[in-house]
Amino acid sequence: MSVIDVEHLTKRFGKVLAVDDVSFALQPGTITGFLGPNGAGKTTTLRMIVDLVQPTRGTARVLGGRYRDLARPWTRVGALLDASGFHPGRSGRNALRVVARSSGIPDERVEQALELVELTAAAKRAVKGYSTGMRQRLALGCVLLGDPEVLLLDEPGNGLDPEGIRWLRTFLRGRAAEGKTVLVSSHVLAEVEQTVDDVLIISKGKLVAQGPIGQLAGGASPVVRCRSPQAGRLHELLAGRGAAVNRLDEALAIRGPSAADVGQLALDNGIVLHELLTEQPSLEDLFLQIAGTRRAGQ
Amino acid sequence: MIDLLKAEVLKVRSTRTALGLLIAALLIAILPTVLAVLLIPKEDLVQTEGDLIAVLGVMPAASLVPILCLVFGILSMTNEYRHGTISYTYLTAPRRGQVIVVKLVVCAVIGAAVMLVTGLLALVTATIGTEARGLDLGIKAAEVTDWEMVRDVALVLLTTGLATAFGVALGALIRHQVVSVAGTLIWALAVENIIAGLKPTVGQWLPFTAFLQVVVNAEEAETVAGVPALSSLEAFGVSVAYIAVASVAAVYITMRRDVT
Repeated sequence: MSVIDVEHLTKRFGKVLAVDDVSFALQPGTITGFLGPNGAGKTTTLRMIVDLVQPTRGTARVLGGRYRDLARPWTRVGALLDASGFHPGRSGRNALRVVARSSGIPDERVEQALELVELTAAAKRAVKGYSTGMRQRLALGCVLLGDPEVLLLDEPGNGLDPEGIRWLRTFLRGRAAEGKTVLVSSHVLAEVEQTVDDVLIISKGKLVAQGPIGQLAGGASPVVRCRSPQAGRLHELLAGRGAAVNRLDEALAIRGPSAADVGQLALDNGIVLHELLTEQPSLEDLFLQIAGTRRAGQ
Repeated sequence: MIDLLKAEVLKVRSTRTALGLLIAALLIAILPTVLAVLLIPKEDLVQTEGDLIAVLGVMPAASLVPILCLVFGILSMTNEYRHGTISYTYLTAPRRGQVIVVKLVVCAVIGAAVMLVTGLLALVTATIGTEARGLDLGIKAAEVTDWEMVRDVALVLLTTGLATAFGVALGALIRHQVVSVAGTLIWALAVENIIAGLKPTVGQWLPFTAFLQVVVNAEEAETVAGVPALSSLEAFGVSVAYIAVASVAAVYITMRRDVT
């Protein structure tokens, strides 16, 4: 059974179609990256899953039912949707206690969550004195209060320093190892690339790709990079053969032909190459390729 | 519901808004009493000796504290939107109607408690002040247990609680804090008075005029509001009707609104 089941989810805000017929299902114990540029519809989709936003059409089911029908939902689903969602005058500890009390979670669990996100020392301080990274960690602590089996995290890396990002990766892997299901949205692709099993890519409200990360990356064409003092001449030749080429001074990034094809073309035309290599596409390449295709198709 | 009640009480306790309300209410209630006791010539006080309890002890608290409590009610709801805590509130309790009902109840109790504390303190201040000047405030044991007096005090406390709850409902309907607070105060302190001045028969039925007619007794209301006054019980009934309508509208609209 799917942990999260989204079918034909659509949301229109006046004239703006924020989410357009999005469908996906998440299996237990997986980490899924929900990727897309700012304004693509990630947050709106997540908010529809947890009933904060009413869909114009379609349904979202969590653990077999609607979020609002879950008993003590915060102990089943943890959602980080807005790290600034704390009263600035309330202490970090009390901010968590408020959430814990409304879910019937004991105060001891608040102390454990503060410990886990390394905020025990700052727990007495008012949230207004927290840095962005501390607020983000407080929000993560809040999500962990009920030890939920499903985590929905909207841009959890925002405001975290490199050490924090690494901590987040370890944290997410740890949750998946415990059999929990994680849906993590981000527009910083490198942030989730090393963490996720599957990806959902959304652009302009539409889901444009989904599947295991290896499978999607395998479907993207590799990039051939080369450097040549005659880069302009090589660019013309490659473009004439229908290759997609980006040039910066002596460096070329080529999509279409293989490295062998590029090397042969350079040899046949007496062009000197200083560097020639094939680069496997990253998630970022894949995303840009898909987003670019959509843009070109519009 | 119990979990929500506990969370709501902690929300109130863990910020300075409620404490600020109490301090402001105490100042507003006691300051006029202290100034009146100190500055009004004794012969003028003697002339109003029969009404001293109303003039010095109860009036300032009874007429100003409900307005403060109303603003507190608005803040307790609009702060949730302003600071984004509403997301966590509805994530932990997705049945939004229950959240609003609990907030209405908790704020109503706080409003009534603040009125009780400030009223008592104002009365004590007035008693001490008048006795120091050789006057009798006129409180007799028999009057304290008199049914009408008990009823009037109960109505004042209830109405202040309901005014606070009315603020919660208004805050849920108009989520923008500045618009909500400023709009309500302008309506309560200016627009209703203008309407009451131009059309007294209409003015007495308006919400804040109705509240006022409960918290000061009917005779005083005629002076304060400048309109033919409803009796305390009639005004209380009108107040309850307004609050019921506003609360139902708040629940209905909150359940359908997106939290973005």
